[in-house]
Amino acid sequence: MIRFEKVTKTYPGQDHSALADVSVELDKGEFAFLVGSSGSGKSTFLRLVLREARPTGGRVYVAGKEINRLASWKVPRLRRQIGTVFQDFRLLPNKTVHENVAFALQVIGKSKTHIRQTVPETLDLVGLANKADRMPDELSGGEQQRVAIARAFVNRPMILIADEPTGNLDPQTSIDIMKLMERINSTGTTVLMATHDAGIVDAMGKRVIELVDGQLVRDQAEGGYGLPAI
Amino acid sequence: MQLRYVFSELGQGLRRNLSMHVAVVLTLFVSLTLVGLGVLLNQQADKAAAQWGSQLEITVWLCKTEDDNPLCLGEVTTAQKAAIVDVIESNPEVAGYRYESRDVAFEKVKELLGPEKFDGPNPAATADALPESYWIELKDPQEYRGITSAVIGLDGVSDLRDMREVLEPIYGTIDAMKWGALGTAAFLVFAALLLVGNTIRLAAFARRKEIGIMRLVGASGLYIALPFLMEALVTAMIGVGLAAGALAGFVFYGIRNNVGEKLQFIPWIDAPEYLNAVGFIAVLGPVLTLLPTLLLTRKYLKV
Repeated sequence: MIRFEKVTKTYPGQDHSALADVSVELDKGEFAFLVGSSGSGKSTFLRLVLREARPTGGRVYVAGKEINRLASWKVPRLRRQIGTVFQDFRLLPNKTVHENVAFALQVIGKSKTHIRQTVPETLDLVGLANKADRMPDELSGGEQQRVAIARAFVNRPMILIADEPTGNLDPQTSIDIMKLMERINSTGTTVLMATHDAGIVDAMGKRVIELVDGQLVRDQAEGGYGLPAI
Repeated sequence: MQLRYVFSELGQGLRRNLSMHVAVVLTLFVSLTLVGLGVLLNQQADKAAAQWGSQLEITVWLCKTEDDNPLCLGEVTTAQKAAIVDVIESNPEVAGYRYESRDVAFEKVKELLGPEKFDGPNPAATADALPESYWIELKDPQEYRGITSAVIGLDGVSDLRDMREVLEPIYGTIDAMKWGALGTAAFLVFAALLLVGNTIRLAAFARRKEIGIMRLVGASGLYIALPFLMEALVTAMIGVGLAAGALAGFVFYGIRNNVGEKLQFIPWIDAPEYLNAVGFIAVLGPVLTLLPTLLLTRKYLKV
């Protein structure tokens, strides 16, 4: 589903590579954490998957496409297969919960009937069926992140990318969000989550990919946040 | 594609940046009016030139029967005409010449004064009352003395008109107005382009959250740019409409009902020329707004 082959990314005007010779592969339906300190290359990794950046060396395959060969006009089609969630939720403040989720379908030209059916289903999945008409600022942080997840998932993407989704949330709310991510993963969606949250990574016992200074230092099937116990 | 979304975005966009859009519309209105004026004046000059000849021309009227000039001893003869043509052809100041028959002259007069005055039993004039003429084109408008003095004394020549004396002030005024209008328009067009650019920057900034999400969820580039393009088109069409109104005022009140009635010896522009000018600005206006929009949306909304 996501495959990096000897991927290097150097930003223009910098001698140091943000990613250096990284090879890693995620299969369909996998759940993986991407860990590492700030500046370790996590964001670059995610940007490459979304094709917001292109590798300077090596190849990146996403959903069967080699993204450095993908024409710009085909990028929107690729992104429709990827849902994205951020630390800061990025909801539209002037739209209701329902409208925020529906927006993601409207702008890719889905029919009204499809939207009327899918949006409530997805809100139900994230546990916000009764708050569809609220505005984002009337919701708690955890609820806002659920809306963001609903928006990312409403088009049933093959891949869900989450960049520090629990970074602004308290531990209990974070656990609820992780349960939701697991539920989405159980529908067959590949989940890749970048995080600093050691507690969550340790508790989940999922695959861990660790970057240090742009290098892949660890790829462990059922890992924790820190070094593996000996 | 959901048109409802596009139109609601369009309405919101126009309202959100109302003052900027008004500025764009007004600048477009004034600049397109001036461009349209330039086009109209250009056509006016062409029209006058078609009727009266260009500034480079000298007209030689030939004797007709009962000519006003006492030196004319009746209608010009073929031999006299041949002699006149010889003189014209051999003169180094002459670039070319053409012959105008009585009938052609009559048609011109009819067109100028309206054919209805020449129909019926009591016409204002007949073809016989008009002289034949040679229209001499000069190589250099400053070099005309040789040809005028060579032709004026020839037998069969009734009179000679140096059109420049008549036309120079008229052409000069039309030309000055034309270039004045186009020159001012050039500055305003430049201002309009900058205003459109700034409006898009503001609009893209105001909608940056929406645009960010649209890109992320895979909306197509056209879909993201469409509200901007529609805004550009709407402001352009309003500007074109206002300018077309102002030009209509100029042509139909300023010229047809005013100078056109006072100065009938000049053929004035009217509806066909007006439509030409409006057609021109109707293309120019949208180009002026859509072009910077296309360029800048590519820059700001890059996927």
